[in-house]
Amino acid sequence: MKAVEIKNLTVRLNGREVLNNLFLSLDEGRFLGVVGPNGGGKTTLLKAILGLIKPSSGDIRVFGKSPEEVLKSGRMFGYLPQVSKVAQDFPIRVIDIVMMGRYGRIGMLRWPKEEDRRKALEYLTVMGIEDLKYVPFSELSGGQQQRTSIARALAGEPKILMLDEPNTGIDVIGQGDFYHLLKGLQKRFNITILMASHDIGTIPAYVDEIACLNYTFHYQGDPVGALDETVLNDLFGKDVDLLHHTDICEKCERLRRV
Amino acid sequence: MVEILSSAFMQKALLVGIIVSLISGIVSVFVVLRKMSFIGAGISHAAFGGVAIGFFTGINPVITAIVYCAATALGIEIVSRKGKVSEDASIGIFFASSMALGIVLISLSKEYTVDLYGYLFGNILAITAGEVQISMVVAVVVIGLILLFLKEIYMTTYNEEIARVSGIPVRAVNTMFLIILAVSIVISMKIVGIVLVSALLVIPGATAKLFAKNLHFMIATSCGVAVLSTAAGLFISYEFDIAPGGSIVLTATAIFLTALFLKRKR
Repeated sequence: MKAVEIKNLTVRLNGREVLNNLFLSLDEGRFLGVVGPNGGGKTTLLKAILGLIKPSSGDIRVFGKSPEEVLKSGRMFGYLPQVSKVAQDFPIRVIDIVMMGRYGRIGMLRWPKEEDRRKALEYLTVMGIEDLKYVPFSELSGGQQQRTSIARALAGEPKILMLDEPNTGIDVIGQGDFYHLLKGLQKRFNITILMASHDIGTIPAYVDEIACLNYTFHYQGDPVGALDETVLNDLFGKDVDLLHHTDICEKCERLRRV
Repeated sequence: MVEILSSAFMQKALLVGIIVSLISGIVSVFVVLRKMSFIGAGISHAAFGGVAIGFFTGINPVITAIVYCAATALGIEIVSRKGKVSEDASIGIFFASSMALGIVLISLSKEYTVDLYGYLFGNILAITAGEVQISMVVAVVVIGLILLFLKEIYMTTYNEEIARVSGIPVRAVNTMFLIILAVSIVISMKIVGIVLVSALLVIPGATAKLFAKNLHFMIATSCGVAVLSTAAGLFISYEFDIAPGGSIVLTATAIFLTALFLKRKR
């Protein structure tokens, strides 16, 4: 089954066309990386799929349903907005955040039951942060905060995980582990993942498919081909130097010799 | 102490003071977390226009003020959501024009100006039995609504987009909260007055936030600070024969500053 199917999508925000004529077809259980420069429309695309932004034309289907229908049910997506969009000083503990992920399932005028508590703890354990459950969110490191937020997104047992720049605030060493973790979640829960990122250097090693977005898609498909020079020029403009993440960084070696 | 509590008007004042403090204590938590202090100040000043409409038409000013403040709160929200005017500008406009409307209406109905002082600066000692009942009903409705929809209000406060994706009707929750805010402002107005009411909606929550690790703790602390400020402020006002509205707000400020000092020391 198709998890996400987009035809002819165009989105205008405040009179400016942000996305133009996008087509996308993503099978259930796949891991898609949407890469491109800042301001290229990655967040807008994610929000349009989530139903938070209305497209000016085109069609979006999520497991065959329109985003409006999906939004009402509140159970399809686990969503991680950009880190900067969540107040850092909010008085909330790790366990409270993860329980929030259950709210869509619990429903209005109902209270968390034993099962909800069990699920919240289960996903804390999956993310390896069960020892931090009573720690205030503001006291966590960037990486721990992201793990908490992913536990929250997973706690609602969504079919699709939507991540907007999830690697922000995690140090470079931690990022590889982080993508590894996502890959593990994908396999374990057979969940579809859509991740927006500008980290084009590392992502191709972890995702199943890649879509290069700057106003419109410049490349879609196998992650390996995305590193092609013409695609990168289309995406980021000319004069882009790519640093390949191999054991020996050729670019660094070259710079050292100069 | 015993002498203070034996007088009937002080008993009534203390009872209403505690009821209103519980309302403002719980509402204050969300005013602070949602960063709505300025909209609170705007709505409370708009209450002046609402009270004046009551004087002018002969309807109970508390009722006209509740309706007027709720309409103003929704007006500010709609104007700023349309995106043409920023929220702070639209608050500034509603706030000033409501005060102007109030001044015009009051000047047209000169005979009632004596009561005006009570609305502007509070008159907790002149509370009537009817007002005690009104504040009890409002307390049950306001606190009841917040507790019933605590999950939804909390999540919407945390992050609106995550709340929407979880199927929460964010706009309805926000509208409900604005109306709750307007009602709380009008009901607190009797205690400390239009000019000072926003203090009761900011200080308890801001104090609680200094130490809060989770929501329930923050609500309990905020209500505690509000009740303590009102009770202590009333006793101080009685002992030293000063205006209760001022002494309540200054007591709250002193508690906040002490909390801030303790927090910094740690």
